[in-house]
Amino acid sequence: MIRVLNFFCVALMGLSILALYHVSERTRVAQMELTKVNHQIRDARASIGVLETEWAHVAGPARIQQLAERHGMTNTVSAQLSSFDLLPRRGDAPLNNSPLRNASAEAPQSSVAVVPVVRPTLSAQPISERTGF
Amino acid sequence: MADGLFQRRIVIGAVFCVAAFALVGLRLVDVTLLRGGSHGGYEDRAVTARADLVDRNGELLARDLPVKDLYARPHVFWNKDEAAHDLAGATGADERRLRAGFLNAKHPYVLIARQITPATEASVMHLGLPGLEFEPSAKRYYPDGRNAAQLLGVTDPDNNGVSGLELGLQDRIRTSEDGEPVTTSIDMRVQYILASEIAAQRQTFGPRAAGGLVMDVRTGEVLAMASLPDFDPNARALTGDDTTRNIMVQDVYELGSVFKIFSFALAFEDHTTRMDEVFSIGQGYKIGKYTIHEAEHMPAVLAARDILAQSSNIGTAQIALRSGGVRQKEFLTRMGLLTPIRTELPEQRKPMYPSNWGTIETATIGFGQGISVSPLRFLASAAAIVNGGREIIPTFLKTDADRRGAQLIKPETSEQMRGLLRYVVTNGTGKNANVEGYDIGGKTGSAQVPGEHGRYIPHALRTSFFAAFPIENPRYVLFVLLDQPHGTKATYGFALAGYTAAPLAGRVISRIAPLLGVPNTAPPTRLADGNS
Repeated sequence: MIRVLNFFCVALMGLSILALYHVSERTRVAQMELTKVNHQIRDARASIGVLETEWAHVAGPARIQQLAERHGMTNTVSAQLSSFDLLPRRGDAPLNNSPLRNASAEAPQSSVAVVPVVRPTLSAQPISERTGF
Repeated sequence: MADGLFQRRIVIGAVFCVAAFALVGLRLVDVTLLRGGSHGGYEDRAVTARADLVDRNGELLARDLPVKDLYARPHVFWNKDEAAHDLAGATGADERRLRAGFLNAKHPYVLIARQITPATEASVMHLGLPGLEFEPSAKRYYPDGRNAAQLLGVTDPDNNGVSGLELGLQDRIRTSEDGEPVTTSIDMRVQYILASEIAAQRQTFGPRAAGGLVMDVRTGEVLAMASLPDFDPNARALTGDDTTRNIMVQDVYELGSVFKIFSFALAFEDHTTRMDEVFSIGQGYKIGKYTIHEAEHMPAVLAARDILAQSSNIGTAQIALRSGGVRQKEFLTRMGLLTPIRTELPEQRKPMYPSNWGTIETATIGFGQGISVSPLRFLASAAAIVNGGREIIPTFLKTDADRRGAQLIKPETSEQMRGLLRYVVTNGTGKNANVEGYDIGGKTGSAQVPGEHGRYIPHALRTSFFAAFPIENPRYVLFVLLDQPHGTKATYGFALAGYTAAPLAGRVISRIAPLLGVPNTAPPTRLADGNS
């Protein structure tokens, strides 16, 4: 009986050694993999940081100004902000055809050819009979 | 007996094995269950020494980029001279320094270059030299280059701040939680507009230096601070007339007539003058052995409001003398003008004023000569004049809080001054700063420039303009300064502030007001393209 028990314990110990070794090796490989992935994350974050910096550089006001001037835009007239209270009401007749200077973005007079906008005409068909309404 | 001994040994062995297995089992439980989820101390983000600096809109101002420091073990080089030559060519390092380091047996480890870029690293690797080591490092990069260079400051090769906000906010930048960016009060769009307009004015009038400031009168946030000439913080060395000096905080100036706003504020506060009170101007105003003259021809008499609008030195001197030197000094102290201003910027300069504050000093200080303050100090005090009369200390960190402090002058006095400043722009020397619809109030300043031996330099002026808008309920103040501009044909040879600084202020305001949400209140007239 003792011999059987001894044999069983030795066998169990051997199997345990093998299992422990297996787990240890898997842990070591997983740790290496984790380290590698963490390095990749760190490198990716560094790259993102560099790209964000590059974006900040190319989207900076100085470069935008250069591009705007190259395409015929100027500083002289800025889009003007306003409130609804200051917007002219439809039908208000301004006096003496004096020019409007607020409440709308004014495009500068440009030498670049303007593509005419085709304005759609209202259909004679009632709204209720138009497809999709 | 032998069997008993044998069995005892087996039992002892079994006990040891059970104990060993129990220890292993306990360790398994400890590692998998009790400490599960930890990464064993590994940080899952790249560690940067300094947090980002961003503007009030989240736009990047400064960031650490990953670079490398290059070291070499010269004892493995086959040919040390050739290695020094090749590495100097690849990195830009000094070849003589490298050769001296390689040949010195005491130094087994020689620094070649710091903060080298990936392109330089590739060039070095291409050399195929042994014994090279790349240590990870960080280099501070400023995407907007010269824009706000003096304000942001720079760092040294060890990534320590040495000037500007990099130094002033050093602790906050280094200890930022989770690398969260430090948000400044700067608006890069306003900064660019201010700097570019000042640069254009510098081209036109050729001043030695120029600068400007934009500040929120309630929060004290400085939205823009420009100082020209400036420098490229990303470059290794200064070139041309580049300078790291920030004239808005590091230099003090006799600002001249812009200082008159304090004389008038004091007069209204103490009721020593009325807006419509008439003063005799004349050709010169004698005080002892001194005579005060006007910069331009003035009428024989002027009302108090016109004394400020036309910037009469004689009229202002009379108003200042009514307050007296003791009261004037007390008032300027209360306004903070006699003490250095303390902000997040480490650079500051103490104001300069006479130790003997007599009658002539009272008169000249009344119109801004004989007292020198930094432009930032002046603007903070002037903001208190227009913001309801409350003290405001500038800040370079974003905040939404109303930071106005103690009541320095009465709200009624502030209201009077706002009306008077508007009058200066509509009817006085500030007309060229007027922009329709933005209700700008302001004051010009054309100060003589002190030279050597206590005398003023002939024909040299330091011109400036202080503006507040919209003047009825000011949100922002602006100050621009040109140091010794030259007149042009277009200005009939004049370099006064009305021709140089005032138009500059007007152009800046017309461009930044829409960005800052200040509505244009010009009356509507007609709609475009017949849409009405």
